[in-house]
Amino acid sequence: MNTDIHRLLDEAFDGVAMTPEARELKEEVRANLMARAAELEAAGSSKADAARTAIAELGPVEDLLGSPTGVRTTNAPRPTAAELHALNKVRPNPAFVVRATLLSVGATATATLAVLAAFDVVDGGSVAVLGLGLATAAILGFVTADSLRQETTSNYPMPAGRAVGWGTATFAGLASLASFAAFANDTALVALAIAGGALALASIGLFSWLGATQTNRHKSWVTGVSNHQAYGQPNRFETDVAAASRFGIYSGVIWLAGIGVAIWLAIAFAWWWVLVVLGVCTVASMLLLASMLYGSKAAGGESE
Amino acid sequence: MLETDAFAADLLRGNTDTIVLGVLRRGDSYGFEIHKAIRDAAGGDHEIKEATLYATYRRLEKDGLVESYWGDESQGGRRKYYRITDAGRAVYRGRVAAWVATRRIIDTLLDVKDNS
Repeated sequence: MNTDIHRLLDEAFDGVAMTPEARELKEEVRANLMARAAELEAAGSSKADAARTAIAELGPVEDLLGSPTGVRTTNAPRPTAAELHALNKVRPNPAFVVRATLLSVGATATATLAVLAAFDVVDGGSVAVLGLGLATAAILGFVTADSLRQETTSNYPMPAGRAVGWGTATFAGLASLASFAAFANDTALVALAIAGGALALASIGLFSWLGATQTNRHKSWVTGVSNHQAYGQPNRFETDVAAASRFGIYSGVIWLAGIGVAIWLAIAFAWWWVLVVLGVCTVASMLLLASMLYGSKAAGGESE
Repeated sequence: MLETDAFAADLLRGNTDTIVLGVLRRGDSYGFEIHKAIRDAAGGDHEIKEATLYATYRRLEKDGLVESYWGDESQGGRRKYYRITDAGRAVYRGRVAAWVATRRIIDTLLDVKDNS
């Protein structure tokens, strides 16, 4: 291993203020220099020559650091989020809007019919449940992929392969529901339960993979806005830690009390009271979040 | 001769962002490898300076067009790898389309005959 690199690199960075950015850059440069030196050595240079050449090719370190990162050099007022939004506005494609609306109406209709068939309100039995359910799944899968392919004001269109992946995962998830519903309608059809299970696993696997490998598709103006919190008021929980911890405590109290009441009601009266309490607690949590995160100026006086 | 070199270097430098995105489109890569890919393609005559490239990585990352992560090399320095994002791919495609269109216009205006 070429140790001259480390000495020369330290010399080059001598006198540079070691900000986190500079430290990270130094480490990045180090690995690149070692690879370059190895290439030069393979071409016949001596270790010392290779290290010197690699460093020399790099040029002055000040050029690498450039202007201090993230600092704007002009004093011009930064455009507000609303101005940036107007500047970057992308109108939705009319054909897409019509398509998505009609297909959603269609999916609603087939889903409703499938539910009615499942409860034997309309005839058709498990075949109708499966057929209508699969139709709903296919339509919604297509709408999902189609939507992701659209360019929006804040996002670039997703690459076709990925969009199809999300659409397929959506289809598999809904198709597994349809299979299980058809099986519930006629428990003799064991194959449907197996197919439903396989589809559910495929859907979960595909969703997980897509989620884990997803990369950014925000436009740079959105990234800039979120970096600088130019969106009107900054998020209160980020600027006011006390409010954030109070929110946590209040939420805990609401849900603990809710669970206690739910257990009592379920034992004393009927199990479905649990659902009522769940609903009440969810609404209470949302109201709490709304009032605390975007608190009024008076309540959040300490924030900007 | 020197003047034409400077002209070519200018053109290359003006497209550094797109060139880096193009290299990353083939797969995740780190500084030395990206630089080498550009050097090899340029045939050694024209180079994009390393300082320019480091500034480009920073800008692309700030704009969300690439993501970076550290490699797990056990010996020697750990490499900082760059990965193109979906936003980066979209921007790349747009820039390539713009380049093809502009090239045609300039070819016409400069009266370039395809003599290859």
